[in-house]
Amino acid sequence: MGKRIGILMVFLLLAWLDAGAKEKDAAPLYKTAEAKHFTQVEGVELTPAFGDYFYAELRAELKKSKMAADVIGEGEAVDDADAAQSIVVVGTITEYKKGNVVTSSLIGFGVGARSLKMDADVQRRSDKKNLCTMHIHVKIEPRWDEKTMAKFAAQQVVKDMKKDLKPQAQ
Amino acid sequence: MFFPNQLVRWCSSALLVCALSALSPADEPKPKPENTISVHLAEPVAPQKFAAPVKFWISDVTDRSGNPQPMLVYKERGGIFLDRQPTVIVREALEQSLKAANLLAADATSADLTIRIYLFHFGLAEGSMLDFFGKVEFSAMVKNAKTGDSQEVKATGTSIAKSAIKKKNLQKNVEEDVEESLQDAVRNFLRGQQLKDAVKELTKNSDVAPAPAESPKQ
Repeated sequence: MGKRIGILMVFLLLAWLDAGAKEKDAAPLYKTAEAKHFTQVEGVELTPAFGDYFYAELRAELKKSKMAADVIGEGEAVDDADAAQSIVVVGTITEYKKGNVVTSSLIGFGVGARSLKMDADVQRRSDKKNLCTMHIHVKIEPRWDEKTMAKFAAQQVVKDMKKDLKPQAQ
Repeated sequence: MFFPNQLVRWCSSALLVCALSALSPADEPKPKPENTISVHLAEPVAPQKFAAPVKFWISDVTDRSGNPQPMLVYKERGGIFLDRQPTVIVREALEQSLKAANLLAADATSADLTIRIYLFHFGLAEGSMLDFFGKVEFSAMVKNAKTGDSQEVKATGTSIAKSAIKKKNLQKNVEEDVEESLQDAVRNFLRGQQLKDAVKELTKNSDVAPAPAESPKQ
């Protein structure tokens, strides 16, 4: 019995290592990726610093994901030859709720949480064709900083992008 | 022997001294060799190819950040300082990249376009508690000395680096973060569509010959 469990564990470990190696060796799906500053709809009360920080986090997450060979800055020129294999991430912050510490402490379970909703699109650079649309909703403790929320939102955007774009590329 | 009024006077003096010492900037960080970092470009940034061969000259770099201590990049834990003024670092980074691509003029008179930089932010910006947010932001006035026409080009570079507990790692992470954001800003400027459009607009009526070799990038 113990031997069987041991063999099973070795198999699982090998499968995990193999999956990790495949992930590492995978070639980038796109030549370049550009993240734009997300716009805000009227009524969203977030500081301009939030926009900058979210943009930086999104770029950092895109680099980490290795979806593109090069993550370029906003407004950088791209070779015509690479435009068809390049993507642009644009989006709009549609809703922001500050949350309520008292409600969150008394009730909990997400009630009174600080929340952020955004719509993001991934477009192909050459023809502006929409490759995927994401609706992101991030909830955090109301005591936490809005910048922490930006970090989680950027992670969620890239995670959803990966999920939507990988099957398209295959 | 102490009288009550003397005791009150003594206590109030002691309290005043304590309050003053708490208010005085006793723990204000001071630059020392061990808390000073040197920020450089890891390698020159290759600029985009322009339709016409142009030579640039960096005429001036002005600090417009309004930061009273531009060399102090991180205030906590004894502080982290830059070894040079941010204006000097930005100028050096731009000149290094332009020179490597043979786009830097020998002097102002031989340059086709002069660049005047206004630096708005250099160093760390307010980020989350989990990491460092490096940001370099500047605006450049690109001017054709012959015609007097000028165009504004904006550039921003950002970088996110992990925070650290040990002071040594913290300093290393801050240095890498600022370097990366500088590299990003220089790249954003030299490879930006704005600079491309500005160069095209400013050189269209001048006697700068079009580039004979190599097809221009986008």
